[in-house]
Amino acid sequence: MKKNKVVAVATAVAFAASTVVAFAPAAQAADVLKIAYQGPLTGPEAQTGTDGIRGVKLALKYYNATKPKVKVELFNGGDDQGDDAQGGTVGAGIAADPAVVGVLTAYSGPTIAALPSYKAAGIAIVSPSATRASLTDPASKDYGSPVFHRIVSNDDLQGPALARVATNGVKDPTVFVVDDQSSYSVGLTKFVKASLGTAYEAGDSAAKGAVSDFSATIAKIKKVKANVVIYTGYYADGAKFLKQLRDKGYKGVYAGGDGVLNSAFPKLAGKKQAEGARLTAPTVPLEVASPKIAADFKKEFGADPGVYSTEAFDATNIFLQAIKAGKTTRADILAYINASSFSYKNTAGVTLKFQPSGDLSGSGLMNQFVVKNGVIKINGKA
Amino acid sequence: MDFSVLTDQFASLTIDGVALGFIYVLIALGYTMVYGVLRLINFANSEVFMLGSFATILVATQVFNKTLESDPLTGFPLVYTMLAMLLGAMIVSGLISVLIEIVAYRRLRSRTSNRLTSLISAIGVSIFLAEGVRILTSSAPMGTPRILEKNTLFTVFGADVRVDTFLVIIFAIILLIILDTFVTKTRLGKGIRAVSMDYDTSRLMGINLNKIISTTFLIGGLGTGAASFFYITVYEQTRFSIGFELGLAAFTAAVLGGIGNIRGAFAGGIALGLIEMYSSAVFGTQWRSITAFVILVLVLLFKPNGIFGESLQQARV
Repeated sequence: MKKNKVVAVATAVAFAASTVVAFAPAAQAADVLKIAYQGPLTGPEAQTGTDGIRGVKLALKYYNATKPKVKVELFNGGDDQGDDAQGGTVGAGIAADPAVVGVLTAYSGPTIAALPSYKAAGIAIVSPSATRASLTDPASKDYGSPVFHRIVSNDDLQGPALARVATNGVKDPTVFVVDDQSSYSVGLTKFVKASLGTAYEAGDSAAKGAVSDFSATIAKIKKVKANVVIYTGYYADGAKFLKQLRDKGYKGVYAGGDGVLNSAFPKLAGKKQAEGARLTAPTVPLEVASPKIAADFKKEFGADPGVYSTEAFDATNIFLQAIKAGKTTRADILAYINASSFSYKNTAGVTLKFQPSGDLSGSGLMNQFVVKNGVIKINGKA
Repeated sequence: MDFSVLTDQFASLTIDGVALGFIYVLIALGYTMVYGVLRLINFANSEVFMLGSFATILVATQVFNKTLESDPLTGFPLVYTMLAMLLGAMIVSGLISVLIEIVAYRRLRSRTSNRLTSLISAIGVSIFLAEGVRILTSSAPMGTPRILEKNTLFTVFGADVRVDTFLVIIFAIILLIILDTFVTKTRLGKGIRAVSMDYDTSRLMGINLNKIISTTFLIGGLGTGAASFFYITVYEQTRFSIGFELGLAAFTAAVLGGIGNIRGAFAGGIALGLIEMYSSAVFGTQWRSITAFVILVLVLLFKPNGIFGESLQQARV
C-alpha cells in the first residue's frame, strides 16, 4: 500500500514536471505559428486526406527553408476520417490550440460540423476541396462567411459540367445516374439531374462502401437501355461499379465527378474497363500546374501528387502570404484574406480573389479528364 | 417500386443472386459451425474473411508476380494459379481462425463459463484485425490482377452465365458436399456433432474437446477462406472494412437459415442473396439491407430458430 502511494506521488510529480516542460516552450514561442489540415487521414477516404496534407507539408517545407522570422508548423491532429460526426470534435480541438492561425478543411460535411468552433475562434478557413454549394450560400444555415473560403469551384458548377461532359457527342443520350448516398454525392446528383433535363432516364443509390455487387443496378441500366452512366460517388466504389458494368457487356459512356478522380481509379477498375471514362473536377493536377513542384513532391513523399494536392499547396500558401505580410494573429490573417485588396497568384499562374461569400471571384474553374491507357489525362476545360 | 426490372431481368438477377448467396453460405459456415459447438457468435469470422481476401490477392501478386495490368491466364497456368490462390486463402483463413480460438477464446473458456466474455473478446479480435489491416494498407482498397477472363459460358433465359459465376456455384456445391459428408460420416465429424449436442457429456465420454473445437474453427476458417477466394475472383477488389459488409450479411444468412446448422446456412445464404438482388431491383439498392432485415425479423417471428432451426435440445451441426 505504502509503496503504491510512493509510486502514485512519483507519477504525479513526473506528470506535473512533464506538463510544465510541455507548456514552457509554447508559452514563450510566439514566433512559431501553426496551420491545421482537417481531413480524412485515416478511414476509407484517407487517400484524399493524404494527398491533401502532403500539399500542405510541401508548402511549409518550402517556406521554412527560407529561414523566415516566423516559423510555421503543421498542427498535429485534424483527422476527421471524412466523417461528419467527427468534424465537430476535431474542429474544437484545432480551435483550442492558440498557435493555430489558419485551417484547411478537406470535406464539406465535417467542415460544416466544425464551423461553429472556427467562427467562435475567428480562424480563417481556406478549403482546397470542400465543394458543397451551401457553404457559400448566404441563405443556408451552413453559410461559412466570414471565416470560410475555398479555392475550388462548387458543385452547382460541377453538376452541369458533369452532365455536359458525360453526354458530349452521344446521340440521343439516355442517362442513368448512380449516387452513393453520401452528402457530397446526393448534392452533386441534384445538380447533375437538373441539367440533364429529359435525357435523365432513371437512377439508383448504392451506399458508399457497403455494396460489393452492383448486379441489380446494372440490370436496371440494361432494362432502360441507358447509353450514358454517371456515377457521383467516390473512386473505390466507382471503380468496382465500372468494372462490373463493363464485364456485363455495357458499351456506353461512363462518367464521374471529382470523387472518382483519383490515380487509383483506373488501376482498380482495370485498364481495359476504365478506358474512355470521363471525369470532371475543379482541380488542376500538380503535374500540369508545375512540373517542378510535382517532381519535388514525388521526391519528398515517394508518391505522385493526388487529387487536390495542388489546391492544398495553394491554400497553405495563401496563409503563408498573409504571415509574410506581417499578419501573425487569427484576426489579422482573417482580415487580410477578407480584405478587398487581397489577391494570390496560384501555382498554375492564375490570380485568385475571394467574393464576400467565400467563393472565388470569376466564373470558376472546371476541368475535364479522360482515362487513356490506364492513366487519367486532363482533357481541357469542362 | 418498379417490378418491370424484376420481370425483365429475372434470370440475370437470379443467377447473380445465387452466386452471391453461395459466397454468403461459405462465410456463414464460420459462424454456424462455431455456434453449433460453442454457442458462441464468432464475430471475428468477418475478419478471417477479410484476411483471406488479402491472402488471395497476395498469392497472385507476390507468388506469381502478377500485376494489375497482367493479362488473364489460360490453360494449365490458369488452373494451377487459381488453385494456389484458393489454397492460399483457405490455409491463411483456416490457420487464423484456429489461432483466434487459441488466443481469444480458449483461456476464457477454461476460466469462466460466461459466454458474454468470449463475445466481447470476439469483437475485440475483430476490431484488432480490421484496424491492423487498415494501418498496414493505409485504408486503401486493393485490386487484384485478373486471372480468369470473364467470358460468357452460356445463356439461360436471356441471362449470360459467366465463367466466374459458374465456377463459384459449382465449387461451392462441391465444398458443401464434402463438408456435409465429413460432419455426418467421419469420426471427427461425429465428435463435432457430439460436442454440439452435449458439451459436458461428450467430455465425460472421453472426447478431446480442444481438438474438436480447433477442428471446428479450422473448418469454419477453410470455408470462409474459400469464400474470400470466390469473392475476389468475382468482385476483384478488397479493403480492410470488407469483413464488416460481408460478415454481417453472412451472419444474417446463418440466423435466417437457423444458426448452428450447416444446411440452414446453405438455405439462408441462397435466400439472402436472392432477397438482396430482387429487392435492389424493385425498391432500389439503398433498400437492400432494410428489406433483408425486415424479412429476417418476419421469419424469426414465426420460426424463432430460423428456417432450418431445430429446437435447442436437438442436434445442432
